[in-house]
Amino acid sequence: MQLAAFPFFADLATYWPQIAKGLRDTILLSVTITVTGLIGGIGVFGLSLSSKRIVRYVTQSYVSLFIGTPLIVFLFLLYYGLPNLGVKLSPFVIAVLGFTLNVSAYNARYLTIAYKGLDQAELESARAQGFSQFQVFRLITAPQSLRTSVPALTNQAIQNVKDSSIVFLIQYIEFFAQMQEVASRTFLFFKTYVFTALVYLVLVSVVVLAARRVERKLAIPGLA
Amino acid sequence: MTFVDILLTLLRGAGYTFLITVCCAATALVAGLGIAIARELGGAWLSAVLSAWVYVFRGVPMLVLLFIVFFGLPGIGIDVPPLLAMMLSLGLISGAYLAEVFRGAFAEVNPNEVLAAQSMGFTRLETLRLVKVPQMARFAVPGMVNELTTILKFSPFAYTVGIPEITKQAMALTATTMRGIEIYAALGLIYFAIYRLLLGGVRLIDKRYSIPGFAQE
Amino acid sequence: MALLEVRNLVKCHGDKTVLDGVSFELEEGEAKVIMGPSGCGKSTLLRCLNLLNEPTSGEIWFDGEDVTRPGVDVRALRSRIGFVFQNFALYRHMSVLDNVALALRRLKKLPTREAEERALEELHRMEMADKRDAYPAALSGGQSQRVAIARALAMDPKVLFFDEPTSALDPIMVREVVTLINRLYLDNVTILCVTHDLSLARHISDRVVFLDRGKVHAEDRIEHLLERNDEVIDEFFGGEG
Repeated sequence: MQLAAFPFFADLATYWPQIAKGLRDTILLSVTITVTGLIGGIGVFGLSLSSKRIVRYVTQSYVSLFIGTPLIVFLFLLYYGLPNLGVKLSPFVIAVLGFTLNVSAYNARYLTIAYKGLDQAELESARAQGFSQFQVFRLITAPQSLRTSVPALTNQAIQNVKDSSIVFLIQYIEFFAQMQEVASRTFLFFKTYVFTALVYLVLVSVVVLAARRVERKLAIPGLA
Repeated sequence: MTFVDILLTLLRGAGYTFLITVCCAATALVAGLGIAIARELGGAWLSAVLSAWVYVFRGVPMLVLLFIVFFGLPGIGIDVPPLLAMMLSLGLISGAYLAEVFRGAFAEVNPNEVLAAQSMGFTRLETLRLVKVPQMARFAVPGMVNELTTILKFSPFAYTVGIPEITKQAMALTATTMRGIEIYAALGLIYFAIYRLLLGGVRLIDKRYSIPGFAQE
Repeated sequence: MALLEVRNLVKCHGDKTVLDGVSFELEEGEAKVIMGPSGCGKSTLLRCLNLLNEPTSGEIWFDGEDVTRPGVDVRALRSRIGFVFQNFALYRHMSVLDNVALALRRLKKLPTREAEERALEELHRMEMADKRDAYPAALSGGQSQRVAIARALAMDPKVLFFDEPTSALDPIMVREVVTLINRLYLDNVTILCVTHDLSLARHISDRVVFLDRGKVHAEDRIEHLLERNDEVIDEFFGGEG
């Protein structure tokens, strides 16, 4: 087994520069969409609480639509469809755009679930103190919803790392795409892809550890 | 080619989408239930191994696992047909997620009812079969529905191993007609429609089988 | 003019008339209790006074201003009214000190040091200063209510509104809170308190406004109300007193 594995590691060393670049691009994409998806999610969540019915309706429809359709379909829509409108975007931008819209919808849904568990009396109390609707959102609603949703939001971050592997289908060359090329050059498909899986496991584990720390820090004291 | 024509062309792959979803869901259910029950009954060592399995299958991207099974296994002498490859990747991954759903659901079963069964003289296996699993199933419904819709949303990747489901139809159609926007918009609508049908169907089943007084929100 | 004057307040909810022409006055330094059977509209009344509910018609004059006129600064009004809720409504994600200091920092725009000092003053007054770093989940009902009162007092309101302050408490805590509110009353804090607790009413009220089905059925001192032999009032108190 040792002897059989040896050429594989030699191959890895040969292709290391492009593998490393792929890793960087995967991490870059994952971090970017996690951040934009979180900000977008908070924004959409805020909109879903609007007093205007039309805003609420549009927001809910958007969330429903993106939660109910496969992410890859939307990425294809952007990738194959935008050129027809004369819009030329790089695969990275398309990926970020598509992911952000998708992830924002999920995050907004998690925040809404948390919001439903809030004590409305606290919000009424804040209004009674004289805070504006925006202040109530910023000081009470958002912090409580966010801190209650931390497990779901960190889970989404983990999902983002794994989902980043699909972007090779729209020609964004990240880690998985690079490993596919390595596999096709070396013909060591099994070993290459198992190695790929292990690397993703490591990436995911890093996020899991970070997530546990964040969860401990942000949990609201006294709440189950 | 009108929009309706596009829809009809895409729907030629609907049978395959349905087949993939059902097969992967069945695999996931068997795997998830098996793992969850084994964890309930088994000792510390078995539980640890299964927990590791669950961690790995929840941490690996589905496409990577699919490629391992479909492109990798032949390299070490095992040829896997496309549908089976989907079941062994998407199915097993969903199974791992379901195992966690069931774990949470088992924890919600009323311990008093379990005690009552044991006091009546039922063995661990009988208690599991007669009390724990039926109750757990009710708590697990939201999680199971969630996983089912997730399987639907990952079914498009079957095209990478050659299964001609609706996404493959869309790609072929785009290649010939270059009308990407309409085609993928139609594709999205089809998936969304199937998704809503699934949710609606579950709600109906839930209403028919609800236990009076056992409220689920 | 009285600090608070309510003239013919009407509040309709759909086709239900919850408040049907309520009028009363509250002088500065006075304490009044609003009592009445369920559904009489007392909680709605309180919420109309700081415009949490929008009155359908009628006038509310607070500190010489008609606050039912269009264009009134609602937030300024609310910061002059301290509101204590039945279930305390403390912000669960903040410590006790932060709960009390929040409005001082964000509404009065005081710097943190000053806000916290002022907050601690009120917490001392409520004997909760040692719990400044605790979170609401760790407090008992009585402690929570004290923090809620401190929070309301921190903004130097002209009047304190209480909405069923003892309903969520067990008997021992009820006595604790009644003593506290009584102390505030003796300190000449202007108080308007909705309650169905007779002992609380006795300990704080100069007068009771008795509400029945959206109207002021009677307004008088408790003893006088009970002496009246009024059917509605006697049914509410059910042989107490």
